[in-house]
Amino acid sequence: MTCEELSGEYVAWALGVAEDPIRSEIAAHLARECADCGAGVRSALATVTALSGAVTETSPPKHLRGRVVAMVTPEPRRSFVFLPWTVSALLAIALLCVAIATRRSNAAHAGYVAKFAEALAIMNDPVAKDFAFNDAAARGRIFVGPRGVVLIAAHLPKLESNRTFELWIIPAAGNPIPAGTFSSPLCAYRGQTANAAAIAVTVEPEGGSPQPTTTPFIVTEL
Amino acid sequence: MIFPGLILALELTGLRDEELARRLQRRDPDAMKDLYDRFGRIAYSVVLAIVRDASTAEDLVQETFMRVWNRIQAFQPGRGALGPWLLAIARNRAIDHVRSSAARIDRNAFALDVREHPSLFVDMEREVVNTDHARIVRAAIAKLNPNQRKVIELAYYEGLSQTEMAERMSQPLGTIKTWVRTALRILREELGQAVAA
Repeated sequence: MTCEELSGEYVAWALGVAEDPIRSEIAAHLARECADCGAGVRSALATVTALSGAVTETSPPKHLRGRVVAMVTPEPRRSFVFLPWTVSALLAIALLCVAIATRRSNAAHAGYVAKFAEALAIMNDPVAKDFAFNDAAARGRIFVGPRGVVLIAAHLPKLESNRTFELWIIPAAGNPIPAGTFSSPLCAYRGQTANAAAIAVTVEPEGGSPQPTTTPFIVTEL
Repeated sequence: MIFPGLILALELTGLRDEELARRLQRRDPDAMKDLYDRFGRIAYSVVLAIVRDASTAEDLVQETFMRVWNRIQAFQPGRGALGPWLLAIARNRAIDHVRSSAARIDRNAFALDVREHPSLFVDMEREVVNTDHARIVRAAIAKLNPNQRKVIELAYYEGLSQTEMAERMSQPLGTIKTWVRTALRILREELGQAVAA
């Protein structure tokens, strides 16, 4: 569709009431940085934002400020903790891997070691970026480098026996890219991340899915 | 009529937003306090008006501020409008919540919401929380007839698509589209001065 055909739909789109094909057409125009649609949508978003002025103001509970600020405030370092958080976490995971591996076959041991080495290589890349997440279902960190992604998570939900976690690379446009399944607190994915706009995790049937079948419980935008 | 004091206030708002955004980009935790102090009340009000549950509203406001923190590097401090951007994120979180999980998957919950991209909130009126603004918006909404007001409320507070509104109001889709289009045109005309860059 042309910009002229879409021009009457910008506010409906900004308000979220537009439907396909209008919705996807506008998104496609924006993805290719269409100047006309960009200007029209910006103006439309201003109109929608203005509507918030009609909402009756309500004071939030006082403790909410503390909750919000706590998300980005580093925890005070305890005296017995002298290693950086990431190194400590990796050390713990490495010990866990070794402990588990010694009870299993040599092949499994080699798998754990390879996974750990892969994670370290991605994390140690000087241009790798580090993102904290603190979703309702889990908390942890995601490292994204040009060679891949490492996810370290705590408090993951309990998996049923025939289910697995699956990591996804979410590109700025297009479908999610499967980046491996995992059931432990560590997941390392080696692959392209250049167009990644977010990292997500879902619960999938054992063996993983080519496309997500459940709503992600972790979504970290990059 | 334009008051010099108002222009000065808006310029100061812009400067404050610019500095605040730069501090957030430097990962200054105190900047989060200032961000919350500036927009926490309005964000909570918008979310609460949509989800109608205080506990859920708290969770969604927390998520909103975390999203801003995580995406602030893509924000343009000199040109971006921090308040409108944050409120768009807050409303989208709330709308996502009130829609059923099935509907969220249908709408591809995975896709990053294009409507939240910081690049769309540049060169925009920054002030969204003053009483003059609220008065102008209420006056604009008062100019809508009951059907036009209803479709705007269904869209803004419940995130219904035009097809869903047609089902809810037992009206043909074409009629709903006409009401939505007319309502939005009236609002744009009435709010034109208030929302222009």
